[in-house]
Amino acid sequence: MDYSKQIQEIASKLFAENKIDYFVGYKQNSFDDSQVPFLITDPAEIPKLVFTDKSVFNLANYLKPDHTKRKRVGLVVKGCDSRALNLMLTESQVKRENVYIIGICCEGVLNDKGEKAQNCVECVMPDPVVYDERIGTPTGKREYTVNADIRELATKALEERADYFESIFANCIRCNACRHSCPLCYCAKCCLDQETSTLYHGANTSSGAMHALMTWSLHLAGRCVDCRNCEKACPSHLPLHLLHKQNESVIYENFQQHLAGMEKDNRGAFYKYSLSDPDDFIL
Amino acid sequence: METEIKEAQGKIVSAENPGITAPADWQPVIIGILCNWCSYAGSDLTGTSRIQYPPNIRIIRVPCSSRVDPWFIIKSLQTAADGVLISGCHPGDCHYISGNYYARRRFLVTKKLLNFIGYHENRVQFSWVSAAEGPKFAKVVAKVTEDIKKLGPLHRYKKENF
Amino acid sequence: MARVGVFVCFCGANIAGVVDVPAVVQEAKKIKEVKIAIEYKYMCSDPGQQMIRDAIVQNRLTSVVVAACSPRMHEKTFRKALSDAGMNPYLLEIANIREHSSWVHQKDKKAATEKASDLIRMAIAKSIANEQLHEISVPVTKRALVIGGGIAGIQAALDIADARIPVTLVEKSPSIGGRMAQLDETFPTLDCSQCILTPKMVDVAAHPYIELIPYSEVIELNGYVGNYKAKIKKKASYVDFSTCTGCGTCTQKCPVKVPNEFNMNIDKRKAIYTPFPQAVPNKPVIDAEHCTMLLKGKCGICAKFCEKGSINFKMVDEVIEREIGAVVIATGYDLWDPKPYEEYGVGRYKDIITSLEFERMVSASGPTNGVPVRPSDGKVPKNVVFIKCIGSRDEAKGIEYCSKICCMYTAKHAILLHHKVHDSHAYIFYMDIRAAGKGYEEFVKRAQVETAATYLRGRVSKIYKKGDKLMVRGEDAQIGQVVEVEADLVVLATAVIAPKDNPALARLLGVSYDKYGYMSEAHPKLRPVETAKAGIFLAGCTQAPKDIPDTVAQASACAAKVCGLFAGDTMKKDPMISTINNEFCSGCQNCVTVCPYQAIVTEEIPLGYGSKELRTVAKINEGVCQGCGSCVAVCRSMAISLAGFTDPQIINEIVAI
Repeated sequence: MDYSKQIQEIASKLFAENKIDYFVGYKQNSFDDSQVPFLITDPAEIPKLVFTDKSVFNLANYLKPDHTKRKRVGLVVKGCDSRALNLMLTESQVKRENVYIIGICCEGVLNDKGEKAQNCVECVMPDPVVYDERIGTPTGKREYTVNADIRELATKALEERADYFESIFANCIRCNACRHSCPLCYCAKCCLDQETSTLYHGANTSSGAMHALMTWSLHLAGRCVDCRNCEKACPSHLPLHLLHKQNESVIYENFQQHLAGMEKDNRGAFYKYSLSDPDDFIL
Repeated sequence: METEIKEAQGKIVSAENPGITAPADWQPVIIGILCNWCSYAGSDLTGTSRIQYPPNIRIIRVPCSSRVDPWFIIKSLQTAADGVLISGCHPGDCHYISGNYYARRRFLVTKKLLNFIGYHENRVQFSWVSAAEGPKFAKVVAKVTEDIKKLGPLHRYKKENF
Repeated sequence: MARVGVFVCFCGANIAGVVDVPAVVQEAKKIKEVKIAIEYKYMCSDPGQQMIRDAIVQNRLTSVVVAACSPRMHEKTFRKALSDAGMNPYLLEIANIREHSSWVHQKDKKAATEKASDLIRMAIAKSIANEQLHEISVPVTKRALVIGGGIAGIQAALDIADARIPVTLVEKSPSIGGRMAQLDETFPTLDCSQCILTPKMVDVAAHPYIELIPYSEVIELNGYVGNYKAKIKKKASYVDFSTCTGCGTCTQKCPVKVPNEFNMNIDKRKAIYTPFPQAVPNKPVIDAEHCTMLLKGKCGICAKFCEKGSINFKMVDEVIEREIGAVVIATGYDLWDPKPYEEYGVGRYKDIITSLEFERMVSASGPTNGVPVRPSDGKVPKNVVFIKCIGSRDEAKGIEYCSKICCMYTAKHAILLHHKVHDSHAYIFYMDIRAAGKGYEEFVKRAQVETAATYLRGRVSKIYKKGDKLMVRGEDAQIGQVVEVEADLVVLATAVIAPKDNPALARLLGVSYDKYGYMSEAHPKLRPVETAKAGIFLAGCTQAPKDIPDTVAQASACAAKVCGLFAGDTMKKDPMISTINNEFCSGCQNCVTVCPYQAIVTEEIPLGYGSKELRTVAKINEGVCQGCGSCVAVCRSMAISLAGFTDPQIINEIVAI
């Protein structure tokens, strides 16, 4: 999968026709074979733009800052990235007319070991769900499968799971990199940081981290698109996808197979309801 | 998947950490969050009807079950509570028309997530109790109290445990 | 620094008999924020309240905790005690140590006392986070909108108008009167329905405070209690009512014949018509779906003969707006179509009719001049079989409820049949006889005795044709036999159902409806005329099947509610509502989506201080917000707080345990 040339052409065209102020894409790193996000305003930088199966990061995250939010931006998105973008549009964080979306029909990206990333193996929508231009051949929606790690953890005994998660929470250093890298975490002041609120539990402890990560994953429930920005950003290598995929599978199985950001104007699962939502767990 | 709780030498063992024990006369604390129009009114009716139930529950009033934020549950579990009960109006009867429908979704995901990270599924329970269901409220409290007694004290993530 | 006063009530022996009140008071004193803790036998009494007032003033309290019965009982009482002492009434918290402790843990006094202490500590912690709240005044437009011009709408409109409050009465059909205009005589008095109804209809038309808008529908309602804006579509009647004299020539001359819905399609009416002779207003309208001129551009005979030139084929629908303060929904009922009863031959045999068809037949001004006839051959029937509970009380037909009026009107039909056809005989198949109103049981007895009607307890299993008669096979459970009755005419008492447009109207108005389409009342016992939406009331069968006395009572109740709402120039509203902190709001509008009352809209505010750029934030309409907190729980940014149940208040309660 190499669409570098097409992306450079589109970026040139957009700058030439003065349709954008910024272009957000990927650039090859200079010291290893990974790629990094690349924000350009100068058309001279266009030749550095690349897109291959190492273009991992979800670039929709770059529509969070005010300067890109309010300017005209050209953006490269894969399937999952475009779903996050769709949700940002639904939640009025970005104006549609401000974004020129280049959607890539993604064939999956590689992880650090050089294998296809787990979230790409389990991908439900490799094609862009919103775009102005589409590159690649669409292959359509794929069948949803429950994440392999979730399935495995579900078979473990309660205490084993409790110990495992306690060790995860104990290793969280509350750096907030996960929140900063997630495109859907755009709150001006995160609820977990509002010192005046009784939610504030800034201490670097396992109970503080449990509280923060549980709240964070519940705020993303029904909105997370499994782009794994958070996991890649986490300096403690916490398997954050476990929490998100757990919520996603509960939501998918119980709430009319809801998946985040698949359709225009379709909000997260917690902002709607069905009269036939399951009730049998309630006394 | 269920852990078997053993009574070790007259002491009650915690479901999520078997290393933690409590004396046999240990009484659980259950925090109940009840919606004003149905469940709280129902619990008042239980009182008016003089129906008795175990005294472990402490009730907090909210206007609607949809006011219940999942982090009230987390906070309760991290402080005094060994168990949490949330109760609202039956679906379709919500005083605020649709509040309990939204609440219902949050409840399911929160319950499953808590179980996933290691809380026994009976630690957090939910009920629909209408303003006329005084006897039902007593039954619900008795059941939840009994369940939590069997699970033993909750010890993980308590705020004092740094 | 918080200064809390704790007042623990003995409630006679209700609390003190189980909870050790003095010990609880001592426990409370140990809390450093508590400046005074006292006990008294009856806190809600005058001396008790005086103690609270004195303590507030002497101790300069910042919040008050009363440990007594449920807040649902005396919260208002104690709030008044606070405001009488010059303290904001919302700085009160109540610990429920009666319904939630002494009454339910009678056998374990130690645990009940500990629990009482805990509950008080929770209330103290919550009260420390209480904010001073002030009742909100919202302006009120003193005009009522009544939707539906049947007896319910008419009564509500008259009662409100008599209180000198302007009313706009909107009716879908060309005339007011509703179902009652279709009735011959009414139970249990056998009053002539038109005779008691038409004076009220005339009163409506003549009343200086009632604006009657017939042949119209409400198409939009925006706003909140006291401040609604309604859009009403006046359907084109093609007749200028201001010049029309109601002479009726146009109707006589019109060549088009259309099934007459007022007479249950038994006979025909014209394309230009008044629904019935006593119609109010007594002016004709043109049925656009059947008028040759409007459909094909030919004919126009009515216009040629109209001396006043009142007919205007160029008329169009008109949309008008009204500002109103309250709405009364009085849309009445429909009758269920008994088509699913195939075993009765419904639709196949002409001589099986519904109760309302029978009613039209026996009406003096009806299609058959007051005499029941068999639809098949026009002969007067001798043996008439009435079958009750057609559709009603039947899970299989999807109608589980009882339609309430059929037992009474069937008895009435037996009497009317007997009056009209002296040698007739009525057979009534029934499951029960529900005659619970005033004079009702006596009326049914009268039907049985006067007419010698045969009441057969049992269901009908099948109706089949034998020659030109219908054989009705059913059970007579009292003798345990299957019986067959040879009938000339069969009358089915079909279920009362909600009007089919009720769900659409409910959604338009923002009120709820049940699975049958009946509008939902706020509380089935204690608030039967209000809906959950403030300012919108229900009268008549739109809420549930009922007879005329109950309908009129409910309509007058609505009027009383409306008058209460309009009693001042402004309305006071409970201040326990949500507000948005713009600093944290990210404009995602998830709160807008979940609010059950559409109380949240968006507004543009400057990006920062002095900035020209704008950003979107949410804005809560304080007049509409009912304080449920749905928005609070979905706001991820914690930008919304619900006064009286804020996060600090609830968390304080949790942490205090």
